[in-house]
Amino acid sequence: MKPQAFSSNSISGSIIAFGQFLRSYNMNVGMQEMQDALLAIKELDITNYNTFKFALKPLFCASPEDRLLFEKLFVLFWNTNPLDLNEKSNTKVRGASKKRDPGSLVMMGKGAAGKQDEEGKNVSGANAAERLRTTDFSKINEIDAKQLEQISDQLFKEMALRLRRRMQQSNRRGQINLRRTIRKSLNYGGEAIDLSYRFKKPKKQRLIVLLDVSGSMDKYSFFLLRFLFALREHFRQMEAFIFSTKLVRISSILAQNQLETALLFLSQQARNWSSGTKIGDCLTEFNDKYGKRLLNGSPVFIVLSDGLDTGLPDILGKELQKIRRRSKRIIWLNPLKGMKDYQPVQRGIKEALPSLDDFMSAHNLNSLLELENILSYV
Amino acid sequence: MAVSNQYSLSSENNDITVSHIIEVLDSHNYLADEELATALFLLLKLHKPILLEGPPGIGKTELALVLAALLHTDLIRLQCYEGLDVNTSVYEWNYQKQLLGIKLQEGSTLSIEEKEKHIFGEDYLLKRPLLQSISAKDRSPVLLIDEIDRSDEEFEAFLLELLSSFQISIPEIGTIRAIHKPFVVLTSNRTRELSDALKRRCLYQWIDYPELEKEIAIVRKKLPGIEEALLNQVVACVQKIRQIKLIKTPGVSETIDWAQSLMALGYREVNAKAFNQTLGSVLKAVEDITLVKTAELEELLRS
Repeated sequence: MKPQAFSSNSISGSIIAFGQFLRSYNMNVGMQEMQDALLAIKELDITNYNTFKFALKPLFCASPEDRLLFEKLFVLFWNTNPLDLNEKSNTKVRGASKKRDPGSLVMMGKGAAGKQDEEGKNVSGANAAERLRTTDFSKINEIDAKQLEQISDQLFKEMALRLRRRMQQSNRRGQINLRRTIRKSLNYGGEAIDLSYRFKKPKKQRLIVLLDVSGSMDKYSFFLLRFLFALREHFRQMEAFIFSTKLVRISSILAQNQLETALLFLSQQARNWSSGTKIGDCLTEFNDKYGKRLLNGSPVFIVLSDGLDTGLPDILGKELQKIRRRSKRIIWLNPLKGMKDYQPVQRGIKEALPSLDDFMSAHNLNSLLELENILSYV
Repeated sequence: MAVSNQYSLSSENNDITVSHIIEVLDSHNYLADEELATALFLLLKLHKPILLEGPPGIGKTELALVLAALLHTDLIRLQCYEGLDVNTSVYEWNYQKQLLGIKLQEGSTLSIEEKEKHIFGEDYLLKRPLLQSISAKDRSPVLLIDEIDRSDEEFEAFLLELLSSFQISIPEIGTIRAIHKPFVVLTSNRTRELSDALKRRCLYQWIDYPELEKEIAIVRKKLPGIEEALLNQVVACVQKIRQIKLIKTPGVSETIDWAQSLMALGYREVNAKAFNQTLGSVLKAVEDITLVKTAELEELLRS
């Protein structure tokens, strides 16, 4: 049954139940908020419906989206007359429980395969690893896929570590730290003999990544997603999106470092979207919805896509230009570029090319690792 | 100071109500709805910081100024920017004075410890906004932390510490604890997502562009001399402009600016000439101006 105000016979009980109700909808309502709410209603005339609502609202909400949700849930929770109970009892709380199923391999078109063939693993040595690093992702078979996952995890980790180290070594001597210098000078009667310096803190480069998960990218997106998780190791301030015909923000999944959830999410999405890629539209959506907020302080912008755009012409180029104006560098990684006689002649990529700073391949492990060279100098 | 209760608030006063807050804000030329007033009530009662988010130019900062005025207390303002650090926001030692102090002590027989104690005394301390806000002697000041979204994450984390305990430690002096906790108002334009932890410390209030009637009332309050016809035209026009997808959507302050410019130029209605002449006070980007100019003026002025 849906929790409702009348289920409890004290006002504080109801408020706590309301808080839990909000929490079940993923709103961030904790002990502190509850406590404050109880303190707040003590101060106010809560027989007034609006006063009561407006008192809880700023305490329980943390964003405009929250506020919209709050309005709905508030009515749901508080506005029901117990007498109507019988008619309304079939409503269910959304999102109370979620099924988990391993989604990792579904999208590679391999379904339930590869569950129990631990024994069937190839005998491998340095040669095998070397070979896998240069094999196109789309040509890797099931057994190798597992191995490649391991190798890539290892290599991505190393890459993240190297990037971090480079950051630290680039420190140079900075401004004079007056505070410490004066303190030291006391020993010499005020003559500043020992100078202390303040290091300039390395500025953290922000990164925005858009990953194409449309049908044509199917074979690649799985590995590329792993790559995103590796990048996140180094770029703490990273925003990630996946797109095909629509744009979905996955930064929070990335932030929680839940590769499994992301893969599951991706495989679900992959089933829904098979109707081509609208890169231009997705970039428009990005600019409208997130552009103001995310394109601050000139981030590096990375697109992982094959550039096979099925949307209307001209949008892609225009939107990319807009992004270019506010970002430090635009890097396009294209798995197709690894093909032998690839020419960037498809309309989508042709439109994009003038705005790009780097256009690189992303078809195998080695090509992904090359990105390190660019990222370590931005 | 004998100030009539009608136009002021006192945080110690136990019988303030939400409607009283609306009245008092109104007397200070600030129009607030019940929702905002309730949030302010909680700010005064629970001493929880309030976080105001919303597009630029709709009176977020103004609210803090008014709040300080009606509480008859000081407003301490900290403008955030990228790279803001502890030295500029909390405290700094007065280095020149310290150097002089050391020179003056040269002949004295004081030990090094005593000398050190002397030059790291309160006389040599430059208090920056955050330290000022917690060292108020007689009553709680209003601390305005403006455009917090412009500062970087490190500063946000530091702020979090301050907002939860209202104390600052200075290694050379010790911990300074607030006698009167400040009323903290944070504003943000949402150019970057603030951390959840910070949001949870605060009462959250989203302020949006006002409705037509409310905006008319606001402009009338600010410009009492304005003629009704011009007022209605101007506000209706700005409301329509906001519907267009612009780079910089005009806020209420732009509406007021525009009305003011029109009045100064002696216009009694918005016609094509007036429109072209004064558009710069509403729209602040070339692209926007060309875009709005192509939209028919009649279209914008039709109510």
